[in-house]
Amino acid sequence: MDAQETVAGESADDVFALFRAGQLLARYPTVKGLLATTPETERVRAGRLLARLDPDEVLRAHPGTPAVTVAVTGHGTLAPLVAPLTMELARHGLVLRPFVSNFDSYVFDLSSPTSALYASAADLTLCLLDPMVVFDELSACWEPTDVERVLNDKLALLDRLVARFESTSQGTLVLNTLPLSHAHLAQLVDYGARSALSALWRDANARLLRLEQRYPRLVVLDLDPLLGEGVSVTDQRMSVYAKAHLSGPLLERYAREIGHLARHVAGRTRKCLVLDLDGTLWGGVLGEDGVAGIEVAETHRGEAFQHFQRVVRQIGSQGVLLAVVSKNDRALVREALRERRDMALREEDFTRIVASWRPKSEALRELADTLNIGLDSLVFVDDSPAENGLVRHELPEVAVVSVDGEPARHAERLLRDGWFATRGLTREDRARVARYRQEAERQDFLDSFASLEDYLRELRVRVRLADAAERDVPRLSQLSLRTNQFNLTTERLQPADVQRLLSDPGARILTVRSADRFGDNGMVGAVFMSLAEAGVRIDNFVLSCRVFSRGIEQACLAVILDRARAAGSRAVHARYRRSARNGLVEGFYPRYGFERVAFEEDTVDYRHSLAESVARPAHLCIDEDFGGFAP
Amino acid sequence: MNSIEDFVDLVGDELGLTLNATDADRALDEIEGWDSVHLLTLLTALERRTGRSVPLAEVLEASSLRGIYTLTVPDRR
Repeated sequence: MDAQETVAGESADDVFALFRAGQLLARYPTVKGLLATTPETERVRAGRLLARLDPDEVLRAHPGTPAVTVAVTGHGTLAPLVAPLTMELARHGLVLRPFVSNFDSYVFDLSSPTSALYASAADLTLCLLDPMVVFDELSACWEPTDVERVLNDKLALLDRLVARFESTSQGTLVLNTLPLSHAHLAQLVDYGARSALSALWRDANARLLRLEQRYPRLVVLDLDPLLGEGVSVTDQRMSVYAKAHLSGPLLERYAREIGHLARHVAGRTRKCLVLDLDGTLWGGVLGEDGVAGIEVAETHRGEAFQHFQRVVRQIGSQGVLLAVVSKNDRALVREALRERRDMALREEDFTRIVASWRPKSEALRELADTLNIGLDSLVFVDDSPAENGLVRHELPEVAVVSVDGEPARHAERLLRDGWFATRGLTREDRARVARYRQEAERQDFLDSFASLEDYLRELRVRVRLADAAERDVPRLSQLSLRTNQFNLTTERLQPADVQRLLSDPGARILTVRSADRFGDNGMVGAVFMSLAEAGVRIDNFVLSCRVFSRGIEQACLAVILDRARAAGSRAVHARYRRSARNGLVEGFYPRYGFERVAFEEDTVDYRHSLAESVARPAHLCIDEDFGGFAP
Repeated sequence: MNSIEDFVDLVGDELGLTLNATDADRALDEIEGWDSVHLLTLLTALERRTGRSVPLAEVLEASSLRGIYTLTVPDRR
């Protein structure tokens, strides 16, 4: 090896060292942290090592590691996707359980309900489409109208396949737009014909993208913006000789998107964007340059920071919480955010501003505590390599985005990963920032009371329990996906799953809404139940962490038990399944008189005999807006 | 990459396989953990490391690591 190769090998970092030492399996939990500092160019190589591990062995050695099953089918050779996919999921601390189908078998896989693909019961099914889906069907001499005919056939076929998927699978299906490469377009010599091909090709892609509106289990990834980053569509040799029609770099970029989708499907979408100030949100050092001296507009660098602030604000407008963690003087920071009218971000855009001189790892921990969200919900952006290194080391759960001295690139660095990617934004999302701010006011209000009872009485909490309706589907799914702490079984429900429960006569979903003197909290929880002759069964109960400790959970349980008794039920059954995050509610059912009737590994089944009622908290006003519990 | 030994080391590193010198002349499908997709990966890696184009059609027909090595080093062909 020459000197350069040796250097590349050494910068490869510890995933490679672990592999060489035969420690990759034993020390798998450290992989996520190691990948965070592995240069992007080396990550896929790391993925190849990780893909050699048996996921079952990883899960046996490290039980509790979240796993996502991904089935891959498509038109061409699919195996090259596995290593990047393994790596991208590992970056998020997820173990990939892959099912890779055979070459060009997507039509069979998706149309036959008994296919091995459906049998894999994948959380995510990727159907990788490439331009050869179309061009393989054309004879040697073709015109745009021939392409149009094939595209129409393929669209109709895909529509049928997605419909079959919707009725067969419980998972999520991912399609992608068909990239059009110059090597195909340029086979037409006439400009008019080229334009015709371009137009009908894009029209087909637009129809493909619109399929998503009709099918709740479908996600269609648009590859064009990824190609726009300078990734080539195809490596011609790989396409011709190996039938791998999408280039390696494109598959890697695609895998990166899938990693974030997998994170979302696993219920681990990040919730809060935490920003440093000096050098990140504005130019200069506030403590030295003063409020008037920091760069946020007018100068070249000022405009670059202004652009980044706008992007941050755009993200914040969609329900992502914004916060500041900065080593600065608190009063000065507030003054800057209030006085500098030329800033895109204002003080009220932030849920929390933590300005202090303590280590940032401590400040981030405190922030997560105050907002009552996990550290794994945070994305932290800072321009200081030292701070970033420290946070990565102390808090490996936090995603760290390193920006540098070029503020014009801050936005692209942040957006390169879909940290906050979600499906079906709801009204609650857009109001979330205001809600968390109200929470801060409630906290100040609490501090002014001698006892918790006095506080709760004055808070004037109103709870409304109602039957779920069609319009509640997105929020119900979201609650099941996003709620980690007060989630009794952590059963994650995609919108289509909620839809299925709504149309199931044996299932019953109650929505929980709350309000208090500071405002409306919106839908904060849900109770998923089954009604049968044997009695009422609570399949799951989720409650947003924003409204803990106000007696809402007790009120809901009291109402359900009363209603069950009134309906002649002999008992109410309930279940708790332990997850990494829901230890908080382990004692929830026994606290209210449920008895343990069965126990298996991480699951406990409870039964309430209905001999005694659960008290309704006196400080709450409860509104019951739902029908009886007759099975 | 100046010898077949270097080459075998590089293949092991790139593909995550545990190889030794005797694997150089083994039939590819007899190498433990070998997978046909490895050839494509290896080709890309070799081109990146050597900065030279490797003839893919011939690599696909190579039967051993030594066969591939010969194709990647023009003056030894």
